[in-house]
Amino acid sequence: MRASSAKALVLPLAVLVAFEVWARAIHLQSDSLAPPSEIVMALFGAFADRSILAATRDTLFSAVAGLTIGTIIGLALGIAFGISDTLDRLMEVTVEAIRPIPSIALLPIALIALGFGYRMEIVIVAFACVWPVLILSRAAVRSIEPRLLEVARALRLPPAQRVWKIIIPAALPRIFVAFRLSAGIALIVAVTVEIAINPLGLGAGIMLAQQALRPDLMLAYLVWIGAIGYALNVLMVVAQNRLFGRAAVSGDGT
Amino acid sequence: MASAAKRLDVVPGTPAPQVSFEAVTLQLGGKTIIENLSLGVRPGEFLCIIGASGCGKTTALRLAAGLYQPTSGKVNFDGQRMREPRREIAIVFQDYGKALLPWRTAAGNVSLALEAGGMPSAERLARIEELLRTVGLPGHAGKYPSEMSGGMQQRLQIARCLAQEPKTLLMDEPFGALDAMTRQGLQDEVLSLVAASGATVIFVTHDLEEAIYLGDRVIGLLPHPGRIGIELAVNLPRPRDQLSTREHPEFLRLRRQLFDFIKATEQ
Amino acid sequence: MNRAALLWRMASFAIAAGFVALWQLIANLNLVSPVFLPGPDRAWTALVRGFSSGDLWSKLAGTLEHMAYGWLAASIAGIAIGAIIGSSRMMRTYVAPSLEFLRPLPVSAIIPVAIAMLGLTQAMALFVIAFGAIWPIMLATIHGFAAVEPRLYEVARSLQMSRLAVIFKIALPSASPDILAGMRLSLTVALILSVVCEILAGLDGLGHWVLLSARAFRSADLFAGVILLGVTGYVTSVAMSLAEHRLLAWQAAQR
Repeated sequence: MRASSAKALVLPLAVLVAFEVWARAIHLQSDSLAPPSEIVMALFGAFADRSILAATRDTLFSAVAGLTIGTIIGLALGIAFGISDTLDRLMEVTVEAIRPIPSIALLPIALIALGFGYRMEIVIVAFACVWPVLILSRAAVRSIEPRLLEVARALRLPPAQRVWKIIIPAALPRIFVAFRLSAGIALIVAVTVEIAINPLGLGAGIMLAQQALRPDLMLAYLVWIGAIGYALNVLMVVAQNRLFGRAAVSGDGT
Repeated sequence: MASAAKRLDVVPGTPAPQVSFEAVTLQLGGKTIIENLSLGVRPGEFLCIIGASGCGKTTALRLAAGLYQPTSGKVNFDGQRMREPRREIAIVFQDYGKALLPWRTAAGNVSLALEAGGMPSAERLARIEELLRTVGLPGHAGKYPSEMSGGMQQRLQIARCLAQEPKTLLMDEPFGALDAMTRQGLQDEVLSLVAASGATVIFVTHDLEEAIYLGDRVIGLLPHPGRIGIELAVNLPRPRDQLSTREHPEFLRLRRQLFDFIKATEQ
Repeated sequence: MNRAALLWRMASFAIAAGFVALWQLIANLNLVSPVFLPGPDRAWTALVRGFSSGDLWSKLAGTLEHMAYGWLAASIAGIAIGAIIGSSRMMRTYVAPSLEFLRPLPVSAIIPVAIAMLGLTQAMALFVIAFGAIWPIMLATIHGFAAVEPRLYEVARSLQMSRLAVIFKIALPSASPDILAGMRLSLTVALILSVVCEILAGLDGLGHWVLLSARAFRSADLFAGVILLGVTGYVTSVAMSLAEHRLLAWQAAQR
């Protein structure tokens, strides 16, 4: 295990060192590249003046808010469609008509309706998060062991309790997989909206650094955004392992 | 044990062995799987290898195929040292489901061997049809392996191996996963195919009766590490017959002998 | 059976039509300002007008072009690189972990870097789209190549197949379900990044069109553009499904 992770580090370290040496050897003057040492310094600087922390807070706030709203809507629809075949079939065309709209295409609509700021970003993130949650939670509800539903019927549980006590707990491991996927999407969409147009958060930060011709700061943002993406992913996988054990992780393919 | 095989080589008038192991030892991951194994298989001979699980019989077959290289000793084919697999040696794997290309039809799977042999595409079609007919799969050319039963898939794998026009056919428990009726049918078909082609066969099985029924000679391996523990010539008349051969006193005698051997190795 | 399915489908269309009617009603009653929400009638008119004047055709062509070039470049490079990494144990040990580390990176974050290097140009857009679309394809190809049944490689060895024949006759077909799934994911990524790049760089395409319409508060044109983007997403994904269905007919037989 340790040997293999050491091997995994060989390539990135070699690239970084080679880049550093090359940049120093030719006295790199560039609007788009900076040696790793300067990127690290810029990252420290951005932490020192707290600018990157504020940007991180803004991006994460939008992403989490959008993720929460999107998950709630997606989950409600997914469970409803999963329980009721009739509803699912009736809504099929509507869902298939809206789903393929690329989330980012809603950006101009959200912009004129809501203006710049958190709200429009949250709406777009929420829209993007609805679909994976909807589709996977519908599939999760469908795949619940029929015996469990028979138990619920035998106990004469009212519908609300049936959902709350039987369906959601039974489908939870797979619903969490959907949530994990959506969390990744939420971050991506939030950053993308900020890069495209919205003047806040990490995306706006990296664009500003580019426009200010500060490649070191721009790449520092890039590294930081990558680190957040990676950390979020690790966090979600760990949470999934803790909550549901390894069995749920192998259900990824669904 | 090694001397038994040596003896076969030096009997005057016997042809040189097609496949021969000379003091072969194989170690994998620090464990000795096969130790000092010597044996020769005459051209056209049907040799069966039996043994308890873990005795290295499959490993021996893979050495003969050139899929493994011995740690020491030599594996020869037609007097030449084997350094890699060659097309004159075909191997029928037990797990037919894994050894067939699921994205190719029956015809396509047979074609793979013909393509590898460099046969022009114009000639392939007729040859494929002929081979599929030989193994009893006429009219299934367009089916995917997943649409075929286990027995049919194994026939298909045999057809692909026959397409190599092998001098030696290696079979690794080919019927182990099939039901008894299918197995008996395929045993007889393999016997007649082999009789027609004149190929040398090394056949690994854990089924003692199958080994006696098919073979000219049966070798039993001892486990940990694998080495020869018993060697019996099968002097039963050919063609063999599922009923009369299996009731033949010689068959029963050999079966008893092998059964005692296996029982002894398990203790 | 088929009749019932058809009836359900029709009922489902009726429901969708109901939603459109509801949208029309909301617009007619001015429940939402028409500046933000045009009725479907006005969106439709804008769509027809846009196509008859040729404006929308050229924007649609622009977006499709960005998407197609970026995606094709990503597919070719992704499969080639993925095949090299996936078929070598050494590459898998040394290179694959770095790729896994980069995977959760929001790919759009590369846009400023691309702008700094290439400016607000077509080349920048193609680079960004290809860069974003390559990941799903490359990772799927690595996985597909690494997961080839070892027994098939043994079959190839005993047939003494050449290295090239092994790649084209064994490894690629075996990995094709993974590769095609990756290409399908990438298609969505390519469309989104096309729109983003068009918005940022003002390149001819639907992304630019919807942004300009929004800036000028021409909401009917804006909705026409969004609908067209939805149609683009739908049609490309259906086309991809058909291609997959065709190419993976052998898999359908397996189930």
